[in-house]
Amino acid sequence: MSNLVELNVHGGIATLMLNRPEQRNALSVELLRALHEGLDGVPGDARVVILTGAGKSFCAGMDLKEVLGEEGKEPGSENRGTQALKLLTLLAEAAVKLRSLPAVTIAAVNGAAIGGGCGLTTVCDFAITHAESKMGFPEVDLGVCPAVVAPWLVRKIGAGRARAMLLRGGLMSGREAHAAGLVSECVESREGLDAAVQSLAERLATGGPKALAATKRLLNEIDGSMDLELARRSAKVSADVLGMPEAVAMLRAKMG
Amino acid sequence: MIHVSTKECAGGVVGRITLDRAEKKNALTPLMIAGIVAAVRELVGEERKDTGGTPMPRIGSIVLEGNGAAFCAGFDLTLCRENSDALDQLLAGLSGTIRVLRRCEVPVVLAAHGAAIAGGCALLGGADVVVTHHEAKIGYPVVRLGISPAVSAPFLRQSVGDGKTRERMLDSGLISGWEAFRMGLAHECLEDAGKVRDRAMVIAEQLAAKPRWGMAATKRWMNRVDGSDHDEWAERALAASMGLVGSGEERERLAAMWKAG
Repeated sequence: MSNLVELNVHGGIATLMLNRPEQRNALSVELLRALHEGLDGVPGDARVVILTGAGKSFCAGMDLKEVLGEEGKEPGSENRGTQALKLLTLLAEAAVKLRSLPAVTIAAVNGAAIGGGCGLTTVCDFAITHAESKMGFPEVDLGVCPAVVAPWLVRKIGAGRARAMLLRGGLMSGREAHAAGLVSECVESREGLDAAVQSLAERLATGGPKALAATKRLLNEIDGSMDLELARRSAKVSADVLGMPEAVAMLRAKMG
Repeated sequence: MIHVSTKECAGGVVGRITLDRAEKKNALTPLMIAGIVAAVRELVGEERKDTGGTPMPRIGSIVLEGNGAAFCAGFDLTLCRENSDALDQLLAGLSGTIRVLRRCEVPVVLAAHGAAIAGGCALLGGADVVVTHHEAKIGYPVVRLGISPAVSAPFLRQSVGDGKTRERMLDSGLISGWEAFRMGLAHECLEDAGKVRDRAMVIAEQLAAKPRWGMAATKRWMNRVDGSDHDEWAERALAASMGLVGSGEERERLAAMWKAG
């Protein structure tokens, strides 16, 4: 496995760490492939899986450089569209794979979780962050459509609140994310996060593996989590909008 | 173990169903579960298949409550020691009871004045209005025993949505009444546990005084909108829980619990 995602297992608790700290763990094709490998490598007897990020950020979202391609490419070029669709489809499929794990999943949101990075936290069964972290979906501010995360956010916080959150864009603090239902727990500072995550993981690990897996399977059926076609269609919608001149211009401006 | 009574009030009549097994924290037996269903039917009548011609029930609302310190500690799992069919009976009975409460023609107000655990917590999903207090203990600690709480998932999600349902079902930790109120599982949260049952009765009296046809039609429509009147998911959820009954994991963990006393 590439070291872009590190998998560690201790006593029934597996940790997947996005490991590209110099790029704030931005989601590149290579990182997402490594995430798939990491998810495939989670032992069948793991009871809890923790997803976290190396360095100060959890995940800054899509790797914009990779999505936009080389300077000078025309907006909507075939190359860019293909790359964006590849990346977003990998993300959509990783989300379904993450959700389908029989182990209970916790997003340990150690720092900024933006766009697709924030989307990954909504796929996890639980998310814990700290008061100063930044979370949210600023896609519409950049002319981009957060379609790929929308189904997961609807499942997490309900359709009404998800609609408002995605259409308003912007970011929120960890405390605000907790109030909005995006995370299940918010500790005061980054220093307290690891202990809170460990405490939850150990409590969850006391559950019977068969009981947890059966309950998760039923929950996934009820809320439509295993709808891979919807996930792929969502990726296509996001990729199509990413190829439009409005989005390309705004993303280029953001990258400077 | 189940008391049924009625109370005349200014606007109508309130039916009262009381779990009365305080020495066992109102832990549910198959007989008690059947008693709740029988009580609803005695008070309201059989579930109606249409809206025409049937007289309205004489009561206008129901209060579901428990005697003693707890509302309900869940299933009486000691029954499963001697009777291998007991857990199946309890799960099937619970699923049926939640559906009967949810679909009866009058609103149900539940007073969770004390602990509402596992099957006791699941009963909250059958109620239309839940009153609790700040320090009540609420939740589903049963995955720890190798039992899946899936049976009540379709009803919990109607109250709190899919995200919170996932958290509550998978986390064997308990939450406070205040947290239950914040997530929408309870609708009023009092500081004084001793006032919860009285408050539930006040709400039930207010509901009983409202026009019956409109109330029944509204409840029926809410059931249609949120899927409470469909059996498919309730049956699948019941099957998910029953699928684990008798598993090695469940037998080992229950045995360990009994051994520990």
